[in-house]
Amino acid sequence: MDIQFAWLCLIFPLIGVLLTPILSRISTPVMNYGAVFFSFLTAASAVMMLPLLFSAERLPLESTFVWLHTPITVSFGVLLDPLSVIVANVVAVISFFIMIYCLGYMKGDPGIMRFWMLMNAFIGSMLLLVLANNLIIIFIGWKLVGLCSYGLIGFYYRDERKYWIGGPAPFAFDKPSACGVKAFIVTSVGDMLMLGGILIMYYYSGTFNVLELYQTAPEWIPVMADTPGMIILVSILLIAGPMGKSAQFPFQEWLPEAMSGPGPVSALIHAATMVKSGVFLIARFIPIFYYGYWTAGVEDAMYFFLIVAWVGAITAFLAASQGLVATELKKILAYSTVSQIGYMMLALGVAGFGQDILVKGYMAGTFHLMSHAMFKACLFLCAGTVIHAAHSIYIDDMGAMRKYLPFTWVFMGLATLSLIGVPPLPGFWSKETVLVATLESHHYMLFAIALVSVVFTAFYSTRYFAMIFHGKPSKHIRKETSKPGHHVGEGYRTQTFACGALAVGIVTFGIFGLKAEHAITDLVSLQLVTDLGLATVDHVYSYPKIMVVFLSVGSVLIGAVPAYFFYFSGRWNADAVYRNSKLIRMVHAFLWNRWYINSLYTFVFVRGFMGLARIVADKIEKAADALVQSRLPNGIFKISKGTVWFDQRAIDGVVDGTAYSVVNSGQLLSRIQTGRIQEYLALAVIIALTISGIIWLS
Amino acid sequence: MMPSILLQTIIVPALVALVILIFRFQLGKKSGWVAVLGLVYTTFLLLVALVEVYNGAPIKESYQLLKSPDISVTLMADGLSIAIALICNLLCLALGTYSIKYVAHRIEILYPETLGGRGEISYYSCFFYLFLFFPVGFMGVSFATDLVLMYFFLEILTLFLFFLMAYFGYYERVWVATMCLIWGVFSALMFLGGVVIIYSQVGSFQIDQIHMMAGEPLAFWAIALVLFGMFAKLAIVPLHVWMPWVHAEHPTCIAGLLAVYANIAAYIIVRMLVLPLWDDFQWFGPPIMIFAVITMIYGSLLTLAQTDMKRIPACSTISQSAYSMLGIGALTAASIEGGLFFFLSHIMGKTVFFSVCGMVVYITHTRNIRLLGGLATKMPLTAILFLCGGMMLAGIPPFSSFAAEVVMFAGIFERGDTLGLVVGIIGLLAILLTISYAVHFTRVIFFGPMPENIAKDDHIKDPPWTMTVPIILIIVVSGALGLYPTLVMELFEPVISAAVANM
Repeated sequence: MDIQFAWLCLIFPLIGVLLTPILSRISTPVMNYGAVFFSFLTAASAVMMLPLLFSAERLPLESTFVWLHTPITVSFGVLLDPLSVIVANVVAVISFFIMIYCLGYMKGDPGIMRFWMLMNAFIGSMLLLVLANNLIIIFIGWKLVGLCSYGLIGFYYRDERKYWIGGPAPFAFDKPSACGVKAFIVTSVGDMLMLGGILIMYYYSGTFNVLELYQTAPEWIPVMADTPGMIILVSILLIAGPMGKSAQFPFQEWLPEAMSGPGPVSALIHAATMVKSGVFLIARFIPIFYYGYWTAGVEDAMYFFLIVAWVGAITAFLAASQGLVATELKKILAYSTVSQIGYMMLALGVAGFGQDILVKGYMAGTFHLMSHAMFKACLFLCAGTVIHAAHSIYIDDMGAMRKYLPFTWVFMGLATLSLIGVPPLPGFWSKETVLVATLESHHYMLFAIALVSVVFTAFYSTRYFAMIFHGKPSKHIRKETSKPGHHVGEGYRTQTFACGALAVGIVTFGIFGLKAEHAITDLVSLQLVTDLGLATVDHVYSYPKIMVVFLSVGSVLIGAVPAYFFYFSGRWNADAVYRNSKLIRMVHAFLWNRWYINSLYTFVFVRGFMGLARIVADKIEKAADALVQSRLPNGIFKISKGTVWFDQRAIDGVVDGTAYSVVNSGQLLSRIQTGRIQEYLALAVIIALTISGIIWLS
Repeated sequence: MMPSILLQTIIVPALVALVILIFRFQLGKKSGWVAVLGLVYTTFLLLVALVEVYNGAPIKESYQLLKSPDISVTLMADGLSIAIALICNLLCLALGTYSIKYVAHRIEILYPETLGGRGEISYYSCFFYLFLFFPVGFMGVSFATDLVLMYFFLEILTLFLFFLMAYFGYYERVWVATMCLIWGVFSALMFLGGVVIIYSQVGSFQIDQIHMMAGEPLAFWAIALVLFGMFAKLAIVPLHVWMPWVHAEHPTCIAGLLAVYANIAAYIIVRMLVLPLWDDFQWFGPPIMIFAVITMIYGSLLTLAQTDMKRIPACSTISQSAYSMLGIGALTAASIEGGLFFFLSHIMGKTVFFSVCGMVVYITHTRNIRLLGGLATKMPLTAILFLCGGMMLAGIPPFSSFAAEVVMFAGIFERGDTLGLVVGIIGLLAILLTISYAVHFTRVIFFGPMPENIAKDDHIKDPPWTMTVPIILIIVVSGALGLYPTLVMELFEPVISAAVANM
């Protein structure tokens, strides 16, 4: 029965999609509750799989149907192992709370039917990605979540002014429809490369099935390694997909603009679920390359881990630094998401650095995925309420909103503390595991980057929280609250309930954080070591664990204390610091402009490709067109003139000449046509003799 | 099984065309529905044939035309030809239905002086009796077992395309129709040149005898000639220049069929050259792959630069046709099957894409996309259909083009050489350009704020159901084949995989 729950996880959202237009014919509330009900059924089905984690020796479970058997074999099925069960629950349960939140947030929206259809389609696609037993089916889920994300980011496709993001003036704004396009194209770059990697892997392994890939890895990876550079190429191709979807360097630029969608969409797709799919997939690939390096002895396989770890660390640092200066609330959270996913990637990358670190790194990545999904979803939902209340997307248009949003203050406060990594909230525990794994891998540069990112995280988190809820009210808030019957306050009850439920989850998860860490460690160990037989050795700590705690908490304080003085207490004046220091202004400009990476990409790829397209259309095509449609026919006409000349001079000449010759010959011959019989006779005799003579001679 | 099922699929549309011609004034504007009825019947026949082929052996029908000398015609439906014939016929059916309203609209614009009179009926019925020769040609090419018959049906397509375009096209229709005819004749002559060489070596026009010239020096030249002609038909760069003109200027309701007209060359190449002359064809594989990948990128870039609603899918066809050739050029069973499956997926996607562009032009009377925007508000269904068309071209699941791409690229990488690897990766990245223009044009045409004139125009709304339902039908078929690609692959398998395995 357990495996049937996995199928139900896929079927319920699909039914939700199909029924939504029908339910809308009855009434809008029926449609709304109907859509949420199917997400509830999905979440319930996912929760029903949780007991499997307590009897994990029964895992993995697989159920398969053949999708394609010729000329290549692709099965369509589900795979239940600890990783898929954990991530499926994260996706389904958080999605359900977000759907509840949407009941209030999206109330009265004219595109509500489209919204519910896209949301349920997204949930179903995401679960397909997570539960699929086969890389092609994973890829189908992968593309479908991208498609739904495109639809949801560009949900306000009419591009009304109020939905623009970016700015404030004079800085450029981005319109929702353009943001959707950007997200879809940027993620598709990674998707296509990853598909290439999957297909090359299939060429060597002969299977797309995840478990079969693991089991046969020691056989096909050495064969692949016989082609120089092939393992590295496949590693890069496979990593490109997750880097695109999870907005990791160098594909991170789409996520900040993806915030143009409705608030809950950002919570669902761009915090809790879709952006985690890259982490999930890297986790899926790890056993293959681990086998390659540690069992089959293929040295190139280590590049997979090196790339993942370094990309993760760079992204964690880069995105966190951009969050330091951003003023759009959801964009700050987006940078934060990118940065936190960087931590997950870092953990998964270092997992392959040593046989003693595999379980620790793998567990840290999974653990941080879970905790981050919870607190970041809560943060985005709270941000939706805050933005709705403040009627502004900028945190410098807020301030002192605590008294208007007391519940949201609590919920967002708890989630922010978790993001910062304050004990005993889950963010602390999970980040701790990431730092420990990194330090124990003895890659100190990576560890240092991670620590600096912790400092940045603490700073920007404290900053946005203080600027929203504390300090003095901004001019904008004063103006809003001065209006009679103003709406600066909590949202609908469903919104508050969803945020509250997630906040309770955060606290509960935090209280049981250590136990959760041990439980996940056991599950990972069971999956990787017992089930898959990956060769590991017991870990001996090189450094006391408490040292990491000190370093982590110290980094938090280094970031949080200045932010406190700047934005909470107001003792320090951030504007004065900015005005008085040229260096600060330069750094600010650098970070505000996102390290100029976005501008570079726009210049090279958007303008570059459009410019190239114009060259092709305006220069090359026109020249080719002129050549074939104009010059060639003209050339043929010229040749035809030549033939006219030839016809007149040569052919006509020959014909006329022949005619003249015939006439002349006729005139000549007419001389012998005298009419005299005897002459004819003589001529006949002469001819006869001549012929006889010739015959006789021959 | 029904008698002469294959012959019926060719003869019935021709007979219906004759009926429409003779009784045009009695039928009036019902002639469109009569044509559709005929195509419904042939679709049914093809479905029956499909079941037959799927369950057992190929269907073969022979008809003796003359006893002395013995001249007979043989038609054959195997897994490959029946799949292609069915999809082509389905597209003809869908576009025939789509044309019912569209052609009336074209006549209003082109021949306003005839409106309300017999002239209007003449033109209206003229479209449909000319149109019905498309299914005749497609079925003929699909089921032909000899090269003369194949040539004959290819010429039928070219000839009737000329008349349709000249009568019902856009601004420079006669000039473009002539250009299309010249290119069509050029392709056919190249084809004929190859056929003559084959006949000189084999002494037969039968396709199943072509293998007898395998290994002969002249096989190279036969392949080269036919391939050159088919490259022109497929609009492979640099033989593509006719495509944007022709697609842009002819009536949108046959634009999808023009894509089939061009792409059926891929089928001919496989049927006539790849399978019978496998070893001789190997030399051509790498150049085909290189030309194909150049065409994919070139066509996509060309598409991106377009601002004319009708030239967008036109340039896109250049790019998309090359995908099939990429698969065929890779010369593995999977790549060929994937390439042909992509051909089917592409013609479905292109029919949707073209037809929706036609809908927009039909409703807004505007071809310049810079004058459009925000249409999704007033034409939501059209917007969804356009996006679906784009996704079908870009190989986004669940549409069949995704499954086709997976199979095709798996086959390309299966070559195991550097060329396959490099071209495969570049090819995958080229798909990105398709995705880019699909979402880019969706945004420009359907999203964003509406221009004032469009916002004020109450006539702008989704087109009538006779135009939308056929397109939805194609999308559903593409989705169904994407969800269950085994159906097509099992049909192809005995013809291609089995043949390639024996090479």
